[in-house]
Amino acid sequence: MKSIHKGITAVLLLFLAISCSDLEEDTRSLLTLDELSSEGDIVASVAPIYRNMLDIHRQPHVLRTATFGGDDLTTSPRRNKVAFRVFDGFDYGSGENSDIIALPEAWDTYWQTIYFCNTLIDGLKTATATEEEIALGDAEARAFRAYCYLHLVKTWGNVPLIVDGVTPTGDEQRATVVENYEFIENDLLIAEQNLPDAGSESEGRISVSFAKAVFSDLYLTWAGWPVQDETKYEAAAQKSRDIIDAGFHELVPIEELWTLEGAVSRESIFSLRFPADASILSAFPTAFSGVESRGFNDAFPELQFFFDFPEGPRKDFTFLEDIPNRRVRGGVIVDRDPPTIPFEDTENQKPYYRKFTLAEDLTINSRPRGLRPIEMYRYAEILLIYAEAQARIGQTASSIEAFNQVKRRAAGLPYLVPDPTVDVTSATPNEVVDEKGWELAGEYKRWFDLVRTQRVAEVTARRLSDEVIPLTRQPSEAQFIAPIPFSAINLSQLEQNPQGFRIR
Amino acid sequence: MKRIKFKRWKNSFKTFLFAITMFVMCGYSFAQKTITGNVSDDSGPLPGATIVVKGTSNGTQADFDGNFVLNNVNEDDTLVFSYIGYASQEILVSGQSQMNVVLLEDTARLDEVVVVGYGTAKKSDLTGSVASVSAKDFEKQPLNDVSQALLGRAAGLQVTQNSGTPGGDFKIRIRGANSISGGNEPLFVVDGQFLDISAVNVNDIQSIEVLKDASATAIYGNRGANGVVLITTKRGRPGKATINVDVFTSISKPTTRLDLLNGIEFAEAAIEQEGVSIEDSTLFTQEQLDELRANGGEDWQDRLFRTGFANNVQVSASGGSEDIDYYISSNFYEETSTIQAQKFRRLNVRTNLNAKLSKRLKVGMNLNIGREERDGIIGNLSDALAFSPTTFAFNEEGELNLFSENDLGTTALNPLVPVNFNLRESTTDRYNITANLNYDIVKNLVANISAGVVRSDIHNNSYSSLRAGGIGRANVDNIYRTNLFNTNRLTYTVDLGERSNLKIDAVHELVINQFNRADIDASNFFTDLVTFRDLSAAQVQIAQNNESRRELESFLGRANLSLLDRYLFTASIRADGTSIFQNDRVGYFPSASFAWKINQEEFLKDSKSINNLKLRLSYGQVGNQSINVFGTRERARLDEDINYPFEGNLAVGVAPSNRLANPDLTWETTEQINAGLDLGLWNSAVTFSFDYYKKNTTDLLLDTQLPDFVGPTRQFVNAGEILNEGIDINLGTRILRNDDWNINSTLTISRNRNEVLALNDGLEFIEIGQNVSGFSGTPLNATRIEVGRPISSLRGFIFDGVWQLGEEDEAAAFGRIPGDARFRDISGPDGVPDGVITTDDITVVGDANPDFTWGWNWDISYKNLNLNFLLTGSQGNDIYNLQNARLLGVFTRQTNPTLGAFRNRWSTTNPSNVPARVDGAQTLSSQFIEDGSFVSMKNIVFSYNFNQKVTDALGINNARLYASAQNLFIITDYSGFDPETTASVNNEDVDLGLDINSVPLNRTITLGLNVSF
Repeated sequence: MKSIHKGITAVLLLFLAISCSDLEEDTRSLLTLDELSSEGDIVASVAPIYRNMLDIHRQPHVLRTATFGGDDLTTSPRRNKVAFRVFDGFDYGSGENSDIIALPEAWDTYWQTIYFCNTLIDGLKTATATEEEIALGDAEARAFRAYCYLHLVKTWGNVPLIVDGVTPTGDEQRATVVENYEFIENDLLIAEQNLPDAGSESEGRISVSFAKAVFSDLYLTWAGWPVQDETKYEAAAQKSRDIIDAGFHELVPIEELWTLEGAVSRESIFSLRFPADASILSAFPTAFSGVESRGFNDAFPELQFFFDFPEGPRKDFTFLEDIPNRRVRGGVIVDRDPPTIPFEDTENQKPYYRKFTLAEDLTINSRPRGLRPIEMYRYAEILLIYAEAQARIGQTASSIEAFNQVKRRAAGLPYLVPDPTVDVTSATPNEVVDEKGWELAGEYKRWFDLVRTQRVAEVTARRLSDEVIPLTRQPSEAQFIAPIPFSAINLSQLEQNPQGFRIR
Repeated sequence: MKRIKFKRWKNSFKTFLFAITMFVMCGYSFAQKTITGNVSDDSGPLPGATIVVKGTSNGTQADFDGNFVLNNVNEDDTLVFSYIGYASQEILVSGQSQMNVVLLEDTARLDEVVVVGYGTAKKSDLTGSVASVSAKDFEKQPLNDVSQALLGRAAGLQVTQNSGTPGGDFKIRIRGANSISGGNEPLFVVDGQFLDISAVNVNDIQSIEVLKDASATAIYGNRGANGVVLITTKRGRPGKATINVDVFTSISKPTTRLDLLNGIEFAEAAIEQEGVSIEDSTLFTQEQLDELRANGGEDWQDRLFRTGFANNVQVSASGGSEDIDYYISSNFYEETSTIQAQKFRRLNVRTNLNAKLSKRLKVGMNLNIGREERDGIIGNLSDALAFSPTTFAFNEEGELNLFSENDLGTTALNPLVPVNFNLRESTTDRYNITANLNYDIVKNLVANISAGVVRSDIHNNSYSSLRAGGIGRANVDNIYRTNLFNTNRLTYTVDLGERSNLKIDAVHELVINQFNRADIDASNFFTDLVTFRDLSAAQVQIAQNNESRRELESFLGRANLSLLDRYLFTASIRADGTSIFQNDRVGYFPSASFAWKINQEEFLKDSKSINNLKLRLSYGQVGNQSINVFGTRERARLDEDINYPFEGNLAVGVAPSNRLANPDLTWETTEQINAGLDLGLWNSAVTFSFDYYKKNTTDLLLDTQLPDFVGPTRQFVNAGEILNEGIDINLGTRILRNDDWNINSTLTISRNRNEVLALNDGLEFIEIGQNVSGFSGTPLNATRIEVGRPISSLRGFIFDGVWQLGEEDEAAAFGRIPGDARFRDISGPDGVPDGVITTDDITVVGDANPDFTWGWNWDISYKNLNLNFLLTGSQGNDIYNLQNARLLGVFTRQTNPTLGAFRNRWSTTNPSNVPARVDGAQTLSSQFIEDGSFVSMKNIVFSYNFNQKVTDALGINNARLYASAQNLFIITDYSGFDPETTASVNNEDVDLGLDINSVPLNRTITLGLNVSF
């Protein structure tokens, strides 16, 4: 009995002894970003930046929500397109509809990308990778941070400056538009120093052309509404000219431009790519297709814009007038009878943007999807930025040549060969802007051009009366910037538009 | 620093142990006579019943056959016969030497020994607020879930069933919600093991104790703040083996259907929304409309709802000798869903074994093994409700239509498609083992060591078929949880004489929770043949895994002092060290309570009417540490969503943490005072219990949210304060008890008032509820946490009906026309109405917290017949009927209205207040706030006990035949499926009362037979 007693006491003490914990949290599976020591680390850190850009840009309807006021976009009067209708019909401007669906997505994604960029820029300050690797990572982060800030300012007006190395508090206030521009300019100055020349960048990543494209875009915007600092036209011309002079970029024949195969060409200043395994898909064909074709019914050209669009190969490759008539059977998309319907007989009575459906793939989803890379800037836009900037400060032979190159390609001609049937000898700034509207129709550019040049009212006045989306009001400057999403206003110290809008 | 304190305490603990071993107590008594006899109840002998000479420690236990021999008894002694769960009897010896006693079951069970956590106590000696639910209270009703056993039966405990799906999910709260982000689920302790409640077979439960106030829960330290539910499973009773077989079978149907538009009504409404005449519509041809008019359209509720079946078989064997007792049970339960098409199966096997190895040494083991299987997919009811009735489930070729024609109603997939084409198989395997050892080191000093393992393996496999219009996607998700615990307890009791005694417990405990997960997504299958069983058939495979571990080490000291069997004092302190925090790991949680058994005072002792009167007061501090592992740290993100295909294939990305670190984070503390009164009248014919409590939770574990644009958006901080204040009432009445009749009723009423007193940094509100946009399409949050209000206040615009004819000008100022919803302009950027409806006009439109909830259980027996029913109810809670809102086409997730209420839409000839133009620009508003009060006949069972003649003839002890109905009726004004299922989204208390994707409960009719032999 005594031995049992001892035994049990021993067991008791043993349990007390072994059953002890040091209570340290096991952090072996915890990854931190404290040290970037190799190129691999830096690539892993830039990947989420590219991915964020892909994720928002591959959903064109969502990204373009606040730009439906442009004449290149309208939407369906029916169903769940309310956010697009709000912006197409200018039902905003005094803070209303800040709580509309889809509006926050571009805001949130651009800001999150800025956070990724800030973290990388900050982390590189103490990185142990080589100087070149650090400089390149830093330049990429700054170029994308500049892009995101520029598009935030274009869409919502002045935004707070959230920068690298500062822990946020939630009390951040909006800076002024000019402060935003200056910050973007500073980033781009550093980025263009350290990015590789076009053609020498690693596959899928940006070259100096992207930084310069954003730069020229920034200056063109700076020169227009709301800051209207016209000295910036010269800078815009300079940055776009740099890209042209580098001689790497080209225009590709119009019939190849929007195909899957023709996507990775020298026309791309930078495009976002899809993985070969089709695990990420583009919603371009879906967003720009109507309900008859198993699309989302989201976005179509306004009819006046379609009618104004000059005839020719570019128009044929931009718009689709025979609408595919489809259904889903047995899990796959099949044609109905008849396989196509004239657009006038469809529910929306609008042509499609063929440029966005040409590369569609009907075999990977019950809706039309695609894998064509998404163009952020094309060389054609650079030519037109150069042409416009020069047209404003003094047209030159090279600037009118740039303009003519775009027109020749649009006509299906070799773009480098002068052709009197399409060439012009001069062009007004508005003519260049209109050409840009056609060349880049639906590409998330037209609305910003109309705002910057204060032509929203002029263009809206030409809108056909049989457009079905009702105009809540005639647009004025109050409609040039979108209401800041309620989700951001609600939790922060930001002042809503128009009260919080500050130019200087 | 904290570490050192721990060690020092451990040393003094050992000294304490040594000192106690030196302590010996002795006692002697003198006697003259021997009494023999037998103790039984109406069904047979009661082995183990105790027989004690009143006022002495002289006593014995009845043996295997209920017989006893008690020596040294005086003629003028009184013998006390008692047995757990039975009313004690006191009988004067006066000349008797043979005493045969039949004990009656005690409904008030004052002498019952209840589990109080790390030990037991006599119910009448409790100082804290503890609600007991015994198997006797619920065993008459056919149950398959522990939560059902708790529903309506304990005051202060709120149980709500969130859906009628098999193995349905329940939300359990004790005295309201203390925490915003730290979780409010009570701690469940099953036979000393920390377990998920669903791991227990309800039929194995002997009793449940709900610890409510801080003095009762403080012994669980930093896990006790939300209350504790202690579950004790059955054990064998010494005596002949008893075999019990219970078999029941049920059929179920959803309790309600929603009134939806039929085919032609839907078509006409859809055309009207186009703003064109029927003739000009491109949506439908005249023939289609004629067809719909003649034959109606699709009834999607009919397509999805079906009759569900369930079967339950429980077989148990129990018994024992003086030294060994056993309880072995096996349960099989299967159920088919009432919404197409899932099958649920559960198998559970339990062995509880206790052995007395010597006079001083007892050991025991509880083993529970269970498996749950879910097979098949439950169709998405919300999509079915949203689907156009003009598109039929099957096309003319007999194949499933994948989508609604023209995307009318919804763009979602036909809900029957996943049900028919996709696969889902989930299994959960659980193994729970506890072993314990109880050793009387010296007299009055008992050591108890228990240790156990809880292991659960969860496998979720799913496949989405090529035929469902996809590329073939499979998911294989394996989750492994291992929880280890070891509890070492020393209990020292000392008799201080004069009916006074002292009991001291010292406990050391270690709990380790490990978690491992491996999750594989595969897509681009070339065939539907192998599905998730062979992922190699997929072109893309993405694997993710993670693991975590948390540890908790604790010391607990507790003293119970009973003076004159009248004044009861309890004090305890627990020290908890947790691995989850960094700089501030160890917390101390004290409690103290006092109870006064007034009925033991001389002036009441002989009262014929008052047999129990007790006043209880308590105070304590309890903690809550339930944040996730790494919740205090920044963690770089690695997942497939941030990889990018630079060169065609996805390259791994690393994104910065979405969370800011907070190394100073620590537990949140709930301080609670409780004052209670227990009253028993006329030998417990009426029992009344009243508790008032006030809880203040401070240093809330607040998952604060910064606006998205700043970067990292989340951080756990300790900030803010929440108040919960309320009363619990329990009224038990034995209305009639005679040879033929036995009528009892128990009413429980709970009232809780919840208020946010402060948030971090003087913030007036935060919004961390689930964004409802996934369901609705509006980025607005339906709930908010606001200082001065309950945790979840419902928010939206104020709906002022519809703009009517004659109000065109006024409407036009807001850009609206007659027929549009009219919202009230209450504010603007400057705090005054600005003539524009903006988010400044959003305000609080409802409160989802009930004024009170109640449960009323009746048990009526007449001879062999028994009727037992439970009514439950809730009063004064609002529900945000977002399901209706969506079906009215208000949100963008719905493309055309399908709800029947849309028939009454505004038109020039029908000036109603149902907006006619619903284009998704409308949004959350008071239009959808409804009163969610209800009275529900939760469960009613009618049973018949076969006569002894019959059972004797069959050679069995007992046979009971029963029929029951669950959710027989509900009285409510709520227009959605069921006010009960809206209790919360994802069990979160920050989103109370949102009707989102809610599913009706089932009306279930059950027939069963219980036989024991």
